[in-house]
Amino acid sequence: MKRILLACSAGMSTSLLVTKMEQHVATINAEAKIWAVGQDQAKKEMANADVVLIGPQMSFLKGELQKEANKYGIKVDVIDMMAYGLADGKKAYEQAIKLMGE
Amino acid sequence: MENIDLETLTAEQINFMLILHSGNARSKIIQALRAYREGNVEESDNLLVQAEEDLKASHEIHFKMVQKEASGEKVEFALLLMHAEDHLMSTLTMKELVRELLDIFKQKNL
Repeated sequence: MKRILLACSAGMSTSLLVTKMEQHVATINAEAKIWAVGQDQAKKEMANADVVLIGPQMSFLKGELQKEANKYGIKVDVIDMMAYGLADGKKAYEQAIKLMGE
Repeated sequence: MENIDLETLTAEQINFMLILHSGNARSKIIQALRAYREGNVEESDNLLVQAEEDLKASHEIHFKMVQKEASGEKVEFALLLMHAEDHLMSTLTMKELVRELLDIFKQKNL
């Protein structure tokens, strides 16, 4: 099962995006574990993830987070602007899948 | 992003737009400080200008919402909206402070 971690400063906006992504996953009959955490938890939680997507408000941390993610061989990226701005779960999910190289 | 008509968006999407633009500004403000620290003054200035543009975009959306409410059209309240306003206001404060800090650094040749 694919494990997608979302992170933003408080974990609030991404929590909503998680719901949208889960709704999309259900419509395509796929299975995925998707969850959101705040900025401080991101490094700890990524040990359990296959990919990490971060909110635009923490894009300045991408380099630092990717360094940590390299320990687990996973990728970190900023959520696509259109996907985030429109709270588009399908687009965000597809971005995560693409990052995992599938 | 600029060509999106707010009228076509849901209240939730508008809140996400507020956070998106404020969030982009926040990242650029911190990157401006980092660029200055590394001696890239021009890049630092550019990032701060870009951050101001992002904040303007966020502020304009918020201004439209306030106007809408003032004209008698009720704006739906949500925790997410409060969170989005929090993002906008804290990032505006950050921008003012960082701009002042960078001015001090420049003046003192730091």
